[in-house]
Amino acid sequence: MYVTDEGDEVFVIDGHIHLWDASEENIVHEGGEQFIQCFYDYHTSFTPEERQWSMEEYRKYGTERMAEDLFGNAAVDMGIFQPTYLSEFYEDGFNTAEDNAELAEQYPERFVVNGTFDPRDGEEGIEYLEELNRAYDLQGVKLYTAEWRGDSKGWRLDSEASFEFLEKCSELGIENIHAHKGPTIRPLNRDAFDVADVDDAATSFPELNFVVEHVGLPRLDDFCWIAAQEPNVYGGLAVAAPMAVHRPRKFGEIMGELLFWLGEDRLLFGSDYALWNPDWLVETFMDAELTDEQRDEYGVELDLDTKRKILGENAAELYDIDIEEKKTQFRSDGVTDEFGLADHYADGTSPAPADD
Amino acid sequence: MSSNPSAPDAGDDAVGATDASDPPETGDVEVTPDAATSASAVRDRLDGVTDPELDTSIVELDYVDTIRIDAVDTDADAPTGADADSGNASDDVFVGFTLPTAWCSPAFAWMMAGDAREAVESLPTVARAEIELRDHMHEQEITRGINEGLPFEEAFPDADGGVESVRLELDRKARTARQHDATGALLDAGLTRDQVAGLTRDDLDFADAPADRVRVWVRDGTVAVEADAAPVEHYLEKAEATGVLDDEHSELFRTPEAEPFDGDDVDLVRKRTRLAGVNMGGQGTVCDALNEARHAEDRPPLSTFSG
Repeated sequence: MYVTDEGDEVFVIDGHIHLWDASEENIVHEGGEQFIQCFYDYHTSFTPEERQWSMEEYRKYGTERMAEDLFGNAAVDMGIFQPTYLSEFYEDGFNTAEDNAELAEQYPERFVVNGTFDPRDGEEGIEYLEELNRAYDLQGVKLYTAEWRGDSKGWRLDSEASFEFLEKCSELGIENIHAHKGPTIRPLNRDAFDVADVDDAATSFPELNFVVEHVGLPRLDDFCWIAAQEPNVYGGLAVAAPMAVHRPRKFGEIMGELLFWLGEDRLLFGSDYALWNPDWLVETFMDAELTDEQRDEYGVELDLDTKRKILGENAAELYDIDIEEKKTQFRSDGVTDEFGLADHYADGTSPAPADD
Repeated sequence: MSSNPSAPDAGDDAVGATDASDPPETGDVEVTPDAATSASAVRDRLDGVTDPELDTSIVELDYVDTIRIDAVDTDADAPTGADADSGNASDDVFVGFTLPTAWCSPAFAWMMAGDAREAVESLPTVARAEIELRDHMHEQEITRGINEGLPFEEAFPDADGGVESVRLELDRKARTARQHDATGALLDAGLTRDQVAGLTRDDLDFADAPADRVRVWVRDGTVAVEADAAPVEHYLEKAEATGVLDDEHSELFRTPEAEPFDGDDVDLVRKRTRLAGVNMGGQGTVCDALNEARHAEDRPPLSTFSG
């Protein structure tokens, strides 16, 4: 839990984390090496110098370090795993639901394991989704529409095949559809992360929530316009949040736009771990402010209540997490024991006890 | 020319620059003494080439590392006739450039390389421009494709068609962002929302206005308001490039989807055009940061995967 200087508590659900393996032994395609190299440039670009990892650490960090980075070093209370398979690039996958579950099984109350699907896998893909659902009781899926598969360099969320999978999600009660819509690196001439396909999918499946990860940067304009019209479209802040470090003004502008078009109830914080560490990131986000000029321009606030929603409450809403119940539970769970957090969750740390 | 584009740049000190008064802002500049083309002329042309995603000049973004201008022995090389139609197209120009990341979209890199070649070759003294993209995952395909004048889909056999639709989309965004500045200038000058929404290309008069100003005719051409010309001209450039100013629809400004709008919608359209600019600025920030990381002294080597 993050506690402000005034003693206000902020329950932190990191909405976008991975346990990945980009070790050289696991890479089977040049794309796999390019992928991790690109991540590393993002890492060093936005991470304060003294907190940067070495490339070797970054390739594969394992469960122990991850648990410590989230709970020991940072104020994270819970994390949502977002798998990215990239099976064509990595022998055993880059960041699979099964890998993520390694840590989640160790600390089940602290993690949400999301599944995934790829409509190009057809019937087998449906079976895999069902299998994941049985294993992890899925509440969400992370979709990487630009993933390579043979000759295909991507797929669309609004395709007929994708709709079959979304119907399956709906049937299984998997309500949160996280679509990765980030920077274009591949494929070649197409914009694989175009956000237009979210529009039709969100309209067609009003019972599902569509979280556009990385808020579609660099398609923020298209994303906001779609989200303004589709109440079940959300924005995941991974990649946008680190800008608060070196480019606070730019970060303020982006937050201003997001709060204006989507409002404070539809934005989710994510560190994108291990792209970035939540310790400095949560701190930076909590310290971020809009300038007076931005407040006037956008007519919105980035105050404590807003930050509390973005850092935890909004994700709690989507994932049916009862924050107060969790706080009680966390007084004595495995993480608390291991990282000595008993005081952290002790009764009465709140200035006013919750009476609801 | 020395025709060795891969020669290391370290020793490329500017020699015999014909325009010594003009500092080489864009990295190494080398001009052979008898060249008819000046480095500043080449830079000016390159300045008009934009990173299509950021709508910012590649010179301003500091992508251009090397410019080399070589006078070619016209007796030996130039075919008689067609090539020399503009008088003295006798120089070869080499331009080397690097993007913020090796993973910058190949389509965007292709557009910049192609536009750079076209821009430099539009100089009457230039016979041929050779462009080299450096440190990019597709540097070879792009450098070869652009210099050989190939279409994108031939340079990239596994691409799914050409780059034109991507360019159109980026142009649309650039037009939208530029519209924000243009409408802002006109509202600042005192035009009402209805007047802004109702303007046509014919209402703008640059020729008779004072320098750097544009005269905007409103109230059926009975009253002229003067405004800052630059943002309006800047907008017109992209409005024309994206074909929104045609005979069928005379309205000067459009929604991002290229629809005309009325006075009541001006505020909403203004907010949407603002968003297009914020998006470009946000992406520019990311590119900028990646550029810095990539050139950091202790960065580990780029991919050497060869499996």
